Amino acid sequence: MTVRHDRADGMRRRRFLTNAALGGATIIGATALGGLDAEAAFAAEPSLDPAIAKSTFVEGRITGITGSILEVAGSNGGHSRVQMTNVTSVWKVRATTAEVIEVGDGLYARGVKMPDGTVAADAVWVNIVNLDTQIRGIAKNRLHLAHGQHELVGHVAPDASASYAGRALTSDLSRLRIGQSAQVLGAWRPSDNSVDVVRISVGH
Amino acid sequence: MLSLTTSLAPLVLAALLGWTGAVKVFSRGTAQLAPKTVLARMLRSSERATTVLRATGAGELLIAAGLLVVPANPVPGAAVAALGAGFLAYLGYGRAMAPESSCGCSASEDTRITWRAFARAAVVLIGGATVAVAQGTWWSAVSERPGGALLFLAGAAAVLVALSADLDRWWLLPLRRTRLRVFGHPLLGTAAGNQVPVAASVELLENSLAWQAAAPVVRSALLDHWEDDGWRILQYSGVYGDRENARPVAVVFALDATTGRDSGGDPIVRVSYVDADSGEAVAVDELNAVPSRRNLPMAG
Repeated sequence: MTVRHDRADGMRRRRFLTNAALGGATIIGATALGGLDAEAAFAAEPSLDPAIAKSTFVEGRITGITGSILEVAGSNGGHSRVQMTNVTSVWKVRATTAEVIEVGDGLYARGVKMPDGTVAADAVWVNIVNLDTQIRGIAKNRLHLAHGQHELVGHVAPDASASYAGRALTSDLSRLRIGQSAQVLGAWRPSDNSVDVVRISVGH
Repeated sequence: MLSLTTSLAPLVLAALLGWTGAVKVFSRGTAQLAPKTVLARMLRSSERATTVLRATGAGELLIAAGLLVVPANPVPGAAVAALGAGFLAYLGYGRAMAPESSCGCSASEDTRITWRAFARAAVVLIGGATVAVAQGTWWSAVSERPGGALLFLAGAAAVLVALSADLDRWWLLPLRRTRLRVFGHPLLGTAAGNQVPVAASVELLENSLAWQAAAPVVRSALLDHWEDDGWRILQYSGVYGDRENARPVAVVFALDATTGRDSGGDPIVRVSYVDADSGEAVAVDELNAVPSRRNLPMAG
């Protein structure tokens, strides 16, 4: 049984990996190392992690999709080709698969540069945004946010999470208040310039 | 009603222009705001933009005074209409050239050029045209029908306040806050109970020793996650070994699905590398050799 060629058979694969994980080593303890996800990549300091040092980053708008290759026009000019593999993680509001990527989406990718110049992606984050905002209104499934002079709508999905005063993420969004400053990690919707709120941090 | 509207329009316009004009002329904020306006870009200087904004404010004050003192005279009305047309043209130019910039309409706050700014300028234009052709004076209208006049003025004030984006924090936000207080928080109970979100499990994982041990192998971000019998399984992809020995692996973590960073105690994580081709566990001894690192107990 292979892990890689078994994506279609999701249940069986998950069952197998669950057993592998539960049968694995138990490691107890905390560290302050942190993640190597998009937020870590946004950090200005270069990571000392050997896995990151070899990585390159690609950022821009997707101008075309040819098979498993994404054509990306960089925000500061330039053009890149991003090769998706079957072990590339895809984030678009949540962990998902490459089928949801569309032309016109914004992209942030981490990967390894290949000899032919393409970047074999380890991870891509589609339309990810990190905004300093002020909460101007709260409704059943959306937040009204002010980002500088922009008014924007933040759609709140059921799996959105919030962090209050630096505490752990929770699914309880009912402690958000109008007028609060909030850092919003989310996914931009190119069609109407609104944002899907994924994580909102207040009281830092 | 029509005669009431035409004879009271000068009063409403004078109040609006008096307010925006006074803010532009006397507020210290004008100089700070000027560089952000389209005007500064048009004139290529924020000092000149400040001067023009203040001069416009002075003009608005003069027109407001004219409207109050000689309402039956067509000159102030025509001036208001010209001002409204000028505002509209300016806003149109600003919208086309620099939609991000502030309109500087009332010079009190950063207000982006929106449909409300256009609507307010249109009200000024139409109001000015109405006043220019009006015959009666506002004081006679007020004394003849004080009730109707009061009602009209209140309505007009409400419309103008609603069209002024920079007044939002005085009425819109308090109104929304009150609504939350009366009807309850709309996001209360929308989440699935007290369940720990996946993001919190990822956060806990990334603060764990298990993550530190596996980080050199992990390459992707979260690939997949699911729950099984109280466990939350987080799957990543990675590469184990270097150079010719490098092989793709799936890195799977298992955490208690009910714990987060605030649950207390040390994070307990099970971790395994699974060869992507053969499905066999890789580096079992290496992972088993990672020593546990418990928190120092708190004194007292």
